[in-house]
Amino acid sequence: MNYEETKSVVQEKFLSSERVTAFLCDAKVLHPEWVKKDRLLCIVEYGDEKAVFCLFTSSYPPKSFTDLSIEIVLPIDNTFKCEIDNKPSDPEAVLYLNLQSRNNKFKFEIQMTPRVDNFVDDLFRGIEAVSKVPTQPEFVWLKKYHGKDEDDIITQFSVIPRSGVAHAQNSAPVAIRESLIKRKMYDKELEYTFTKKFTVFCGTWNVNDKSPVIPLEGWLSVDREPPDIYAVGFQELDLSKETFLFDQTFREDEWYNAVINYVDRRAKYVKLEKVRLVGMLLIVLIKQKYISHVRNVVCDTVGTGIMGKMGNKGGVSIRFDLHNTSMCFVNSHLAAHVEEYERRNQDFRDICNRTRFLQPNQQAKAIKDHDQIYWIGDLNYRITDLDPNTVKQLIKDNNFEKILEWDQLKQQHKNNNVFAGYTEGPITFKPTYKYDPGTDNWDSSEKNRAPAWCDRIFWKGEAISQLAYRSHPALNISDHKPVSATFSSSIKVIDEEKYRKVYEDVIKQLDKLENELIPQVKVDLTEIDFGTVKYLELQVRTITIKNIGKLPVEFEFIKKLDETSFCKEWLIVEPYKKCICADESCEIQLKVLINKTSACKINAGTDKLYDILVLHLYGGKDIFITVTGTYQRSCFGCSIEVLVNLNKPIKDVPVGKLIELENKRDQCVSNQSTYSIPKEIWFLVDHIYLHGLKEPNLFEQPGLHSEVLQIRDWLDSGSVDPIPGSIHSVAEALLLLLESTADPIIPYNLQSICLKASANYLQCKQIVMELPEFRKNVFLYLCEFLQEALQHSAENGLDAKTLSTLFGEIFLRDNPNQIQEPQSRINKQVIDKKKAQFVHHFLVNDHSDLIFTR
Amino acid sequence: MTSGPYNYSYIFKYIIIGDMGVGKSCLLHQFTDKKFMADCPHTIGVEFGTRIIEVAGQKIKLQIWDTAGQERFRAVTRSYYRGAAGALMVYDITRRSTYNHLSSWLTDTRNLTNPSTVIFLIGNKSDLDGQRDVTYEEAKQFADENGLMFVEASAKTGQNVEEAFLETAKKIYQSIQDGRLDLNAAESGVQHKPASPGRPLAAQPPARDNCAC
Repeated sequence: MNYEETKSVVQEKFLSSERVTAFLCDAKVLHPEWVKKDRLLCIVEYGDEKAVFCLFTSSYPPKSFTDLSIEIVLPIDNTFKCEIDNKPSDPEAVLYLNLQSRNNKFKFEIQMTPRVDNFVDDLFRGIEAVSKVPTQPEFVWLKKYHGKDEDDIITQFSVIPRSGVAHAQNSAPVAIRESLIKRKMYDKELEYTFTKKFTVFCGTWNVNDKSPVIPLEGWLSVDREPPDIYAVGFQELDLSKETFLFDQTFREDEWYNAVINYVDRRAKYVKLEKVRLVGMLLIVLIKQKYISHVRNVVCDTVGTGIMGKMGNKGGVSIRFDLHNTSMCFVNSHLAAHVEEYERRNQDFRDICNRTRFLQPNQQAKAIKDHDQIYWIGDLNYRITDLDPNTVKQLIKDNNFEKILEWDQLKQQHKNNNVFAGYTEGPITFKPTYKYDPGTDNWDSSEKNRAPAWCDRIFWKGEAISQLAYRSHPALNISDHKPVSATFSSSIKVIDEEKYRKVYEDVIKQLDKLENELIPQVKVDLTEIDFGTVKYLELQVRTITIKNIGKLPVEFEFIKKLDETSFCKEWLIVEPYKKCICADESCEIQLKVLINKTSACKINAGTDKLYDILVLHLYGGKDIFITVTGTYQRSCFGCSIEVLVNLNKPIKDVPVGKLIELENKRDQCVSNQSTYSIPKEIWFLVDHIYLHGLKEPNLFEQPGLHSEVLQIRDWLDSGSVDPIPGSIHSVAEALLLLLESTADPIIPYNLQSICLKASANYLQCKQIVMELPEFRKNVFLYLCEFLQEALQHSAENGLDAKTLSTLFGEIFLRDNPNQIQEPQSRINKQVIDKKKAQFVHHFLVNDHSDLIFTR
Repeated sequence: MTSGPYNYSYIFKYIIIGDMGVGKSCLLHQFTDKKFMADCPHTIGVEFGTRIIEVAGQKIKLQIWDTAGQERFRAVTRSYYRGAAGALMVYDITRRSTYNHLSSWLTDTRNLTNPSTVIFLIGNKSDLDGQRDVTYEEAKQFADENGLMFVEASAKTGQNVEEAFLETAKKIYQSIQDGRLDLNAAESGVQHKPASPGRPLAAQPPARDNCAC
């Protein structure tokens, strides 16, 4: 599918007055709570107004507009902002698009293609156009995409990819629902949190391979109040080869114990976590009383040393959530050597990019994904372009500001090459490197290096204020002096009661939405009365299903428990299954047709014109549709044994009497019966006998359906008028009547015997002799009549072969209840031939002897 | 933010049954929307509602099938009992006939659900105490004799509605904890939330199982 084709699919999602001016595929929404799947961004123009839409597509590329669901709508108005970044690691291929409109912020990751320029141009044209218009556009046309509520939750909720149809209740909506709740809760954080000040102590010391042989309280326990959190970082804990190669050192425990011993004694602390990589150790402690509010403690290490991965340089980090605030502490030792500041910048970026905090069932977090970040360490930036002696003199004069102008880190930070977005407090202490160990004297070695502030502390995050930033020169065992900073940091604490309330509100809102999004339809009629229904006369009623919900609805008439079909056999429902778009309607035709099968059942009282249909909406409710009617009893579909007992037209016989007769038909006794053959058969045969024996194409030319129905009414009402309709219609009515009798003239159980005997007239006669009395009568009566008809073959064109084939099928009717083995065509022909052969005997032979046996 | 509190672990299927006009749909609406529908039309079919609740720290999604009460639909609504974890059997305290029919509703419920299905008897319209036709004590005795949970509730005022739905869920959850309810049984009416995508979530009406969709 090419660009234009995809574009036209996207265009179909919108009204024709809303023009898609540009679009991009392969856009990813970068939000920890959102399913990371490709989305489609497009710019839509309506008059002078433009908006950016983010669409979720269920198939890629979208084949139809129904694959697309609108997920985000960002009107390009005065609040709209667009910032573009390159992905640092892959600036050529990937672009970040930060879009903001009316407090909704989204970040998209976009693959670089030539189309991107186009899109971005269009976007900026839109922004420019808005800035020139004095009044704020109203974006009335966007309302329908937002749903009826102004709340953006609707926009997002409607994205639920139910694949366009409500029945796709798989787990995808669940995931989306959960992420919606999370997002909603995150947005409302201020409503259920309050802030509480915590003091955070950060300390860093490059101990230059020394053991803790001196007390540390002069570094760790100097604040007026005991800090709530300690984050203590060491570098060059152990410079031995073993440590470097095998990452083992006894110094870890030594220094850990020293820290534990020398933290402020006025409070009780517990370890949150410690993490070490070669010589870098980071220990985080918290006051015991707060430990229960800490969750999700995770650490990670990144080596940036030799080959870019060894642990002699790099960073170790610990993250955790304290109440509702996420905190991250990083201790790093960046590349050494005066001139290597670029390398140090690179180390910083590597640590940022490669540190990943893995938590079960959650997306990995990076350092930047935290509310508060504290970064400590031997960052190794030096003073360049200033003579060491000058530096030392300026230090003596306490003129740090002058020296700091030449501080690599200050310079790089200022240019945003490193620690972008981070803050460092003012430095009011002497450089912490490099001293002769055990003294406060500057390094006396030949190198004569300029002293430098290698050991630094940065932070990032809102509501953090630095209380102190200092070095501790008295601790002099290393060539570095330790540094520390104390912060007063605002931690978001959840007000459980408020949280519950907000949470419940969010859930309630979603529940409500979910219930509203359950498919809803209106059916104009749920009770359909067909009135009087007659045999073989089709009746049609129409009901209308209107989709009054917000989503397309798929309906289907479904089966009830223990039933094989969703409706009775005399009912036809069209269509029985369909999808209706929102606000559209569908007409359903219900057709009732009583044929011989259902007529027999109704006559016998085993079925009635009553059914309840279950109209099921996928993902929603079921509606019951009741179908009723009154069947007008007819001689069609009655058994011969019942008909011979009716001395009045069937219309005048009470229904109960008919059912009773049908159920007792096996006990029908000849001497109590009214007729020897049904009067209806006699009427029809007699009519043909009197008026139609010479009719050309008798029994071969079909009658008119309307005339057959008139003849039906004539028979059922016992009219005294002449039989209506043509001879052909009467002949057809006769055939239909014979075919409709509840039992065939030759009982099903005798069929196979008949077929076997078909070649032998005597045997056939024998069988006929044994037929139930009234059926034998009908059989012989009809054969007699057919012989008569054959006398006039010159006029009516009949021959014995045609008639025997026709009546063979009627006399020897196949049992519809018997599961027919798939008969081969040939087999069927053989059987049909035998049936014809059976009847043929009685059309060509004199069988008056049978008639007179009675 | 952790994902823990937002998940729901189970889906329980409920059915609401009882004579026509006892207020089954109103109870459902009160529970899902916290609203009383004054002119609620007769349910011609089976309505469907859902709400997520919390039991013992577990989020549970209730899928509630509200059935038509008319006698002529009785044969059809029987299809919906299967796979219900909870059955709310409702009568109207101001109409004795609706109470008298309870044993027939109960027979259906016992026959068509599984033994662990929790049956909760609700005497609705408790706000109409002046027109009371069935005493609390009498119904309570009926409930006790048949091992049913029981409250009198009002879909109009909301009194005890929440309780009835929640207590039922608690009892079901308790059955799961005790191992009396086998989650793997197809008709338990309880589903674990699917861990992987693609597994169907909704309890389908049983009639659908056989259809060619």
